[in-house]
Amino acid sequence: MDEQQIIESAKNGDRNAMSELVKLYEKTVYNFAFKICRDSLKAENIMQETFLSMIKSLHQFDGKSKLSTWLYRIVANHCLMEARKKKYESISIDEDDGLYDSSYAAGWDSVPTNVVENSELKNILDEAIQKLSPDYRVVFLLRDVEGLSTEETGKITELSVPAVKSRLHRARAFLRKEINKAFQK
Amino acid sequence: MKIEKITCKDVMSHICESLGEDLDSPKCIEIKNHLDECPDCSNYFKSVEKTIDFYKKYNVELPPDAHNKLIDFLGLG
Repeated sequence: MDEQQIIESAKNGDRNAMSELVKLYEKTVYNFAFKICRDSLKAENIMQETFLSMIKSLHQFDGKSKLSTWLYRIVANHCLMEARKKKYESISIDEDDGLYDSSYAAGWDSVPTNVVENSELKNILDEAIQKLSPDYRVVFLLRDVEGLSTEETGKITELSVPAVKSRLHRARAFLRKEINKAFQK
Repeated sequence: MKIEKITCKDVMSHICESLGEDLDSPKCIEIKNHLDECPDCSNYFKSVEKTIDFYKKYNVELPPDAHNKLIDFLGLG
């Protein structure tokens, strides 16, 4: 059965097909949720809520976009709702002042790129992205990390294409600046 | 058409658009020319690319019991 057939069967209430969709997308959903909230327990909860939403509203899925894009939207909504509930405290990057800092730390050339085995680098990346407000974080992750187009990112986040680009520029510059600062220490 | 001389600040604020996007626009060509001549901007560009690459490679595994917990949670067991 191809994915389209599995989706159709799941829409008709076939529980095996629903399990199959969970198996196909659980890693993607968990990883994306983790990348937004940087916490494994929260990521697992969001994954559960995402698939519950998927099962409840799969009949509304019209197949115009990929199922993965539809799931990204559900994950992003859950994460943003969580963040808004607790009045997320993050650094404002609405002003350009100091965002485009041209200093360049030697660390950029010497740090090994194998992120998974480099716990010091993982800490730097976690700390930097957690300072970024979730609205900017989601745009950066969808566009740059998950590789969605600017248009798809705009649809998921309900932002115009220029607004996605603007947030993306700022998010990239902010993360680059934070990592640069950490490399200078 | 006269193109105004581009500054490092222009390059840094627009540089990101040239990552993975249309490189043939006059602005992008001008940025590329500037990058070839300006070590500061070239380093900046490389470090933005590396920032994206770090986050792309930072993936996590699903915890061992997460699949079964999820199936139970959804009542699909």
